[in-house]
Amino acid sequence: MASSTEEGQVISCHTLEAWNEQLQKGNDSKKLIVIDFTASWCGPCRVISPVLAELAKKQTNVVFLKVDVDELKTVAADWDVEAMPTFIFLKEGKIVDKVVGAKKDDLQSAITKHSA
Amino acid sequence: MAISGFEGFEKRLEINFSGDDPMVSIGLRQLDFELIEEVLDAVQCTVVSAVGNEFFDAYVLSESSLFVYPTKIIIKTCGTTQLLKSIPPLLAHAHHMGLVVCGCRYSRGSFIFPKAQPSPHTSFREEVMYLEENLPSNLCFRKASVMPLKKPKSSHSWHVYSASDEHHLVQHIPDVFTIEVCMTELDRFLAHALICDFGFDPCGYSMNGIDGPYYSTIHVTPEDGYSYASFECVGSTYDYDIVVEYLKKAVLVFRPATMSVSTTGAANEDVCTRVRDVLQPLGLKCRSCTMDEFPSAGNVVFQTFTTRRK
Repeated sequence: MASSTEEGQVISCHTLEAWNEQLQKGNDSKKLIVIDFTASWCGPCRVISPVLAELAKKQTNVVFLKVDVDELKTVAADWDVEAMPTFIFLKEGKIVDKVVGAKKDDLQSAITKHSA
Repeated sequence: MAISGFEGFEKRLEINFSGDDPMVSIGLRQLDFELIEEVLDAVQCTVVSAVGNEFFDAYVLSESSLFVYPTKIIIKTCGTTQLLKSIPPLLAHAHHMGLVVCGCRYSRGSFIFPKAQPSPHTSFREEVMYLEENLPSNLCFRKASVMPLKKPKSSHSWHVYSASDEHHLVQHIPDVFTIEVCMTELDRFLAHALICDFGFDPCGYSMNGIDGPYYSTIHVTPEDGYSYASFECVGSTYDYDIVVEYLKKAVLVFRPATMSVSTTGAANEDVCTRVRDVLQPLGLKCRSCTMDEFPSAGNVVFQTFTTRRK
């Protein structure tokens, strides 16, 4: 699943292996990583999905990952995800920000702030 | 009181559905966002922010809140929104999903600026007529009432319309109740000090809370002359203290001169006394207490309070 043509896209991680691989890759690149914790049965996640895809197209200097909380239950639990969508911002392995809810403006400001 | 201004008093619509479809586990939550927007367009409001958990989705709207459960939807809107117009598109979409309406409740206080309301909200009579015409006939038990019958001095009334089919006449969730608090004539100094990240331009505040299957929601219109704040949450009949604490905090923050508390679904009539007991030492005197039973909604208790300075 990993390839350089993934720039400008939101990368969905469906397995633990893919998740760990993408996380490592992102940390090594020293780029800002934005992780979207999402659920198929959650309406607000569908609201923000196209917004995130647009942001990913524009900000190619940022890595966008997507995790379905049902597919990767342990990852969601590890990262304390209780409500969806939850966006966690990582830089070099450290959590630098978190946005809970489909808030377009907050998402944009956080990306701008941490990708500078 | 100002001649005109933003109407803080909300209109609240709650619709319950039932269905045989196995997909009912997600039910209304699977509604495409475009379809939700279509329902909200009919009401003239838009989604500002949204969040969900395993039990339900909560949306903060440009004019209040929307809560979507698998088989229940709650829309609470203020201003001059035409809330009841959401019923036809909502029922149509639910029907496509194999969901049938089994209960409905519409409630509101008294508008500060009733003449500014558009059809079908120009009067409670008009609202009831619209509901009668747009709800399906399987809802064979219906009741409309204004509480108390005689409008209390310096306070507003509580208008309730509820309808139920024959299977859901009695509320089948006995352990929880809903509490709706409306506060007006907020303390001028404190109201101006309210600044937060859910602030609207030029001012105003809306917030939804999600806690397991329970929601809570606060809306504030701080402008002097028509200041208003509302607070709504779900309480457990096993622990009134939590809700009582919230009531106390709300009063301490907003310091209203007028307040109403409406409790729906509490089987125990003690709620009247508990609410009165927490508000009295805070300077709010109980001016009226009315109780009534409604199909599907259950027991509704409506109390009004004003400070002694009135």
